[in-house]
Amino acid sequence: MSYKTDGSKHIGKDSLIGIPRQQTNPSRWSGKGWDAFVGELGSSGIDVVTEPSKLSLYRSDAGGVATGSCHGVVIARSSEMIADIMRAAQKHRIPVTVKGGGLTTEGESVAFGGLQLDMRGMSKVINIDREDLTVRTEAGIYWHSLAESLRRYGMDYLSAPLNMTSSVGGTLGVGGIDVNSPRLGCSADQAVALKVVTPRGDIVECSEEDNRDLFELVLLGYGQFGIITEATLRIRPFTPITMHYFYYSSLREAMEDLKMLTREDAADYLGILTMLDRAINLLVAFDSDEREKMFFSNWRNKIRGHGEMGFAVRTAAHYLLRPWKLREALYLLDRKRTLLPALSPSHHIASGKIVDRSVVFSRAVWRFWGGRQMVIPDLATSEDKFVDAILKGNEVCKKYFDHYTLYCVGIKLHGKLPRYELSCIPPDAQDFAYGCEFEPMLEGKTYSRDYLQSFKNEIYDIGVEMGTSYYRFGGMMKGYIRRVFGDELVDRYLKMKEKADPSMILNRDVIF
Amino acid sequence: MATSARYHSHYDVIIVGGSFSGAACAKRLVDSGYSTLILEHKKLPRHKPCSGIVSPRGHRFLLENFGPVPDEAVHSPKTCRGVVFHYPSMLSMPMDFHYGPTLHLNRKYSDHWALLQSGADVHERTHLESVEDKGTSVEVIARTEGEHIRYRARYVMGADGPNSTVVRSVYPGYEKTIPWFKVKQYFHERIDCPLDDDYFHFWVHPDLGFYTWSHLRNEGQIVGVGYGAGDDLNKRHERVVSYLEEKHGVRLKPTEKREGSINNFGLSLINRYVFGKGNIIITGQAAGFLNIIAEGMSCALHSGAIAGEATVDALRYNNSIQDTYRKMISSEVKRCSDQWNPFKIIFGNPHEADFMAALKRHSRSDRRRIIRDIWSFLRPWGKYGWGRQIVTQAVFRRLIDAYAPSRWL
Ligand SMILES: Cc1cc2nc3c(=O)[nH]c(=O)nc-3n(C[C@H](O)[C@H](O)[C@@H](O)COP(=O)(O)OP(=O)(O)OC[C@H]3O[C@@H](n4cnc5c(N)ncnc54)[C@H](O)[C@@H]3O)c2cc1C
Ligand SMILES: Cc1cc2nc3c(=O)[nH]c(=O)nc-3n(C[C@H](O)[C@H](O)[C@H](O)COP(=O)(O)OP(=O)(O)OC[C@H]3O[C@@H](n4cnc5c(N)ncnc54)[C@H](O)[C@@H]3O)c2cc1C
Repeated sequence: MSYKTDGSKHIGKDSLIGIPRQQTNPSRWSGKGWDAFVGELGSSGIDVVTEPSKLSLYRSDAGGVATGSCHGVVIARSSEMIADIMRAAQKHRIPVTVKGGGLTTEGESVAFGGLQLDMRGMSKVINIDREDLTVRTEAGIYWHSLAESLRRYGMDYLSAPLNMTSSVGGTLGVGGIDVNSPRLGCSADQAVALKVVTPRGDIVECSEEDNRDLFELVLLGYGQFGIITEATLRIRPFTPITMHYFYYSSLREAMEDLKMLTREDAADYLGILTMLDRAINLLVAFDSDEREKMFFSNWRNKIRGHGEMGFAVRTAAHYLLRPWKLREALYLLDRKRTLLPALSPSHHIASGKIVDRSVVFSRAVWRFWGGRQMVIPDLATSEDKFVDAILKGNEVCKKYFDHYTLYCVGIKLHGKLPRYELSCIPPDAQDFAYGCEFEPMLEGKTYSRDYLQSFKNEIYDIGVEMGTSYYRFGGMMKGYIRRVFGDELVDRYLKMKEKADPSMILNRDVIF
Repeated sequence: MATSARYHSHYDVIIVGGSFSGAACAKRLVDSGYSTLILEHKKLPRHKPCSGIVSPRGHRFLLENFGPVPDEAVHSPKTCRGVVFHYPSMLSMPMDFHYGPTLHLNRKYSDHWALLQSGADVHERTHLESVEDKGTSVEVIARTEGEHIRYRARYVMGADGPNSTVVRSVYPGYEKTIPWFKVKQYFHERIDCPLDDDYFHFWVHPDLGFYTWSHLRNEGQIVGVGYGAGDDLNKRHERVVSYLEEKHGVRLKPTEKREGSINNFGLSLINRYVFGKGNIIITGQAAGFLNIIAEGMSCALHSGAIAGEATVDALRYNNSIQDTYRKMISSEVKRCSDQWNPFKIIFGNPHEADFMAALKRHSRSDRRRIIRDIWSFLRPWGKYGWGRQIVTQAVFRRLIDAYAPSRWL
């Protein structure tokens, strides 16, 4: 016998109040039409990898919690090839899941059946224009490789996620936050033009001038409205950076100072990294000596953070009076001994300045958190809600884990851009949004998915309760999007999606 | 016998038991692309005696993993608002489920639907007889329509419920070391029933039985009783029916319609779970997950999913499945055993309905009577010697923030 259910007619309408009624773990796609699809691709000379041993590389994403399995993989080689794939996929109704770096943590880049399109086959830098300060690159490239290519010309990208293997295309679709986002905005905002393959298989060049609707839909569009195959990005001359830390024992004070410094554009790089909620590190860095000097003359005295010595003395006194907190003190010492030096490794430093920020921040930072599983729920808020939301999130972290880090930054907004609607930018943010990731230290332990998901849901629930957004280290998911943005807005986008992607095959189950 | 058996193809994983824990486990494995077979000894869809009140957490699991629940999968009334505890002092204590009413499942169809949604292969009317761990694979011998079949799988999951053949096969003689309980539910036509139909009713009454309940289903009234195996439940049931009439004015027609099952209740109280050996792992009620206030299905679903995740992990990384499973399952052990942990009950609200808040709604003197009633209800349980173990486990839980894994089999 078979069962028919109409999702809109849920049984027990008054059950699970406040909990989304959605199948967030989709069923694996049945495989109907797969052979005909593969046959059609074969006749266009497109090879689909189906050997189980190769497919097993695609079972999960950086989160390591959601696992799926595709029917086959294509390594992307050109926009034309992707266009052929999308046309055939529409015709045969084959789900296509795009993977760049695969650094999602909720399984968004994992295929639950169907075709996995691996964008890493398109990772060439096409052109660097030092006059115009732009780079044209294929979208499957890792930021880290892009940085290397740009360095040969004395150039650098503007802002990119702090990790080694996220791709340009994957990042432009979700946001991208860096410690210079308070000044430069999210990574998506450095895009000048994109080449996109639409879900129907058209190749379209778009920018603020041409095909703007598509440009705005694809940027921060969670991969719903097209596959980014090439991007023109703004770049800048490379500069080594000087970094300083200020230490706080109050999270609230650190966040208030971060907001003030962000508003006043006091530093080129700015962020909070906590070690414990009474040992908070405000990171401040500069591209030039002038900006550094200005900071010390204009703002240093306005912030409440201590230098390393001052903080060490206070912290020692705190723990001497509280000998029962010895374990906490030892943990802090260990962090100081291992983490802080990793943030300024000598081989990436010349004349006291960091010369390789992408490597330093990404490797150094993640080495301490990552493991086979990785949970990084986040919240993105307006300035007003920032402190309260993060303090609530801090309490949730405490409930679930012994140790965790909060990583907070400001994100500059470039006006009221259409791309910010239904995105990581909270609707009520003006001029700046603020983001915080909640990163538990898994410390080699293995947790059940349910435990980790319960933790994440509690963080995301703060977003629902307070009306924030998620800057999508894996946040904006199907289960939350309607609760945060409301049915009207989501349905408007769903209609656009249905029009653009009639078979609803591109990156299914991510938000719709 | 086994040597002449028909040989079946090799699977990554074979799950024994086509119920909720099996379906949840299968869902994780199939999603990850592993070939998965479920063996179910009954013809599907199969009947299962159960009150069917799935806790909100279980309801959520069903929606998130299997999609909207179909109409066939619920009884009438479709939902249940909460649980009412009735005490000998004639005080009663309604407790609403968190997040509103929850579903009243018809296990015949809800389980079958979940099984189909999991996407695994299912061999129904196939009774597992034994499992043998061969080191790098497990040999499974089952019987279908009088014929023996041999299967082989990398891993085998025992999700075959309270009276688990997999547990018997892996731990010979184990069943003699634990107490067994019988529950029976009787279906009555109603003459008059003043009990609130929106709730599941439970009697915290030492003279009625270990587990005494009643609720509305499909216009009739269920009266259920539970006691140690060997007890005459029909007699106990008669007593409960006259108690209900005398004390609550419930008038029911006599009935012959009844069904029952035997249960391994108690393992979660004292943190004595059974998780398997080598390439065989055990989950759901077979492992000891069972709880008060509509928690059997929820912990079957969650523990089953965890068994699936641990297996995926073992298959992907060639890890020890036992190590991974035992680490991952500790969160579910906490959730389940916390529900019996006196410290957690007083300070932690571990159930999906707020017991302490309901208690606080009573006057101080009534509260005292209720506590006295609860205490007298617990006294007959004394013969199982669980009291000290519960307290020790609760102390451990406070000290090491976990239930000691060393007590698990
Ligand atoms: C250890 C770690 C550190 C991180 N640090 C940061 C950080 O500092 N800042 C930050 O902002 N984020 C950070 N993230 C999150 C991650 O970088 C972002 O999710 C994003 O940049 C991922 O890029 P990706 O190439 O890995 O995308 P993927 O994970 O491959 O894909 C992301 C989404 O976009 C889709 N997609 C991928 N490529 C394309 C394309 N070319 N066209 C259309 N759709 C596409 C996918 O289907 C998926 O839905 C971190 C994540 C981890 C695990
Ligand atoms: C009367 C009663 C009322 C209950 N009320 C509730 C309630 O209201 N709410 C709640 O949450 N829980 C309730 N429970 C508990 C709940 O039913 C169980 O905890 C839950 O079903 C356990 O699920 P499981 O998947 O672990 O095993 P089961 O549901 O017991 O399923 C085991 C499956 O394995 C099959 N099987 C067994 N042996 C073999 C074999 N050798 N070979 C092949 N297949 C085999 C069986 O046919 C069965 O389908 C109740 C239980 C009873 C008895």
